[in-house]
Amino acid sequence: MTDMSRQTGATPTWYGRIAASQSMLVLPALVLCTLFIFIPAFLTIVGSFYAFGLTSERWTPVGLANYVKAGNDPIFWVALKNNLIIVFGSIVMQVGIGTVLAAILDRGIGFGQVFFRVVIFMPMVISAVAVALIWLIILDPNIGILNALVKSLGLSPPTRGWLGDPSISIWMVLIVAGWQYTGFMMVLILAGLQAIPKDLYEAAALDGARGMRAFWSITLPNLRNVLLVAVLITTIGGFKVFDLIFVLTGGGPANATQVLGTYIYLQAFTLTNMGYANAIAVVLLAIAVLLGWLQLKASRQS
Amino acid sequence: MTHFAPRFRIVQALLYGFVGLWSAFVLMPVAWMIFAAFKTRREIFTDPLGLPGQWTFDSFRRAWGVGLGQFMFNSVVVTTSAVLIILLVSGLAAYVIARSRSVWMKLLYLLIVAGFAVPNNAVIVPLYQMVTAADFGNSHFGIVWVYAAYGIPFTTILFFAFFLDFPRELEEAARLDGCRPWAVFFRVVMPLSGPAIASAAIFQAVFIWNEFLLALLLLTQPDKKTLPVGILQLQGEFTSDWPAVMAGLSIATLPIILLFLILQRSFVRSLAGLGK
Repeated sequence: MTDMSRQTGATPTWYGRIAASQSMLVLPALVLCTLFIFIPAFLTIVGSFYAFGLTSERWTPVGLANYVKAGNDPIFWVALKNNLIIVFGSIVMQVGIGTVLAAILDRGIGFGQVFFRVVIFMPMVISAVAVALIWLIILDPNIGILNALVKSLGLSPPTRGWLGDPSISIWMVLIVAGWQYTGFMMVLILAGLQAIPKDLYEAAALDGARGMRAFWSITLPNLRNVLLVAVLITTIGGFKVFDLIFVLTGGGPANATQVLGTYIYLQAFTLTNMGYANAIAVVLLAIAVLLGWLQLKASRQS
Repeated sequence: MTHFAPRFRIVQALLYGFVGLWSAFVLMPVAWMIFAAFKTRREIFTDPLGLPGQWTFDSFRRAWGVGLGQFMFNSVVVTTSAVLIILLVSGLAAYVIARSRSVWMKLLYLLIVAGFAVPNNAVIVPLYQMVTAADFGNSHFGIVWVYAAYGIPFTTILFFAFFLDFPRELEEAARLDGCRPWAVFFRVVMPLSGPAIASAAIFQAVFIWNEFLLALLLLTQPDKKTLPVGILQLQGEFTSDWPAVMAGLSIATLPIILLFLILQRSFVRSLAGLGK
């Protein structure tokens, strides 16, 4: 009792001093975020109601014209559709296979966990540009090993190349993304699995629930929140994707692999339709902010 | 254990088979990159799947000539500076907010956290125009501040959670010994925050080291480029000299892979922290 009153007596003055005179120490963080995140976000929204070029001083107000243009622009819809394909494909591939791999590493195998974890996680630390360049050559129709492998199996590879065929190229992007990020999802989920108390499994084993039944009745329910965060991170990543597609296909062939990120770049810096690029960017911004907010909410619960 | 041994072994074999297959899928492109770097320009066409005939470093020499050393140096400078700024700025902000009781500070915290949701490629048009208008294009000094800004929200969240759990008795003791608040932060709190600092530093370093879009737009002079933009040059420089491209990619990626292998536990812990 005396201890507590001493603490509550001392705390306000000291911490009060921090609040008053040291509160300025928040300023650097605030200034940097305002300057490079909030102001650009605000200007993106404002700029979406104007027409202007890369270096032009004059901004012409156009009202909602940029948004109407997006609504009537088939490439915008292709880009959005591709983002959705990448989002759902990545959830199936990265979170799905990541969960299976994590479950195997957690309880399925006796030794070698560290080795497998290191190998499977490794692509995560390589830059997406390097990853894309390596795969660009692997998928090359003339010298690529994928063609050589397919031919050695007696099958014929696509005539226009793996990335040159509009109906195949987006799936190739998905495979490369899966190659790079499945290990990331695996360690994320593995951390969640290792937080599940082991005696739950022992109790279930006494009741006769082992293997798959234990997985369904103990593992999955306890993992719900981690899986939700994993799905949200993958979804956000699927909407933000840029590097991989920019280097692998540049959005082609014939815009078949265009996504919002590459289309913003194309409109802004190749065609210098800055206002229109901003309107597309606002769509991406709205999606990202909504998903980011959900992610913070979900991770606070776990 | 023994009574279900036979079935257990089959299941084990299947499980090992699955992780083994995925590991092979992951390793193959990297192994192929290294082998292809040692091949001759002819070999890569005639025998794409085989091992190189003889192990020479010629293609590595050609690739290095593009300026990979300069790109790597630039990446080190930019990444180190940005990460140091992020740690200092976020650490201060998170500490002051965690120890403050003012509602305004909580609101400021929420504002900084809101920055976490904004991806740089959604605000790239004004960001590019602002940085170039301030004449910070082609300057490492300019891009470092932009990188720092995008690292601050997540690092502040991380540090804030850590400082909330930090034992206040230690700070009280230091205060009774006559430490001023800033001295408590630098002499007591920071030295005992090693794990949080390491986690935040690795996380940000991986992302900044690999960042591409901003570097592509803001660093266009050859002597300013960072690795992700620099290696893109390999493709244009060596049309059909694929061994040189692969050698360049090996030079660019193997050091970071090696660093990961040495510090794998910290890397995995740091990046898996995104799920918490």
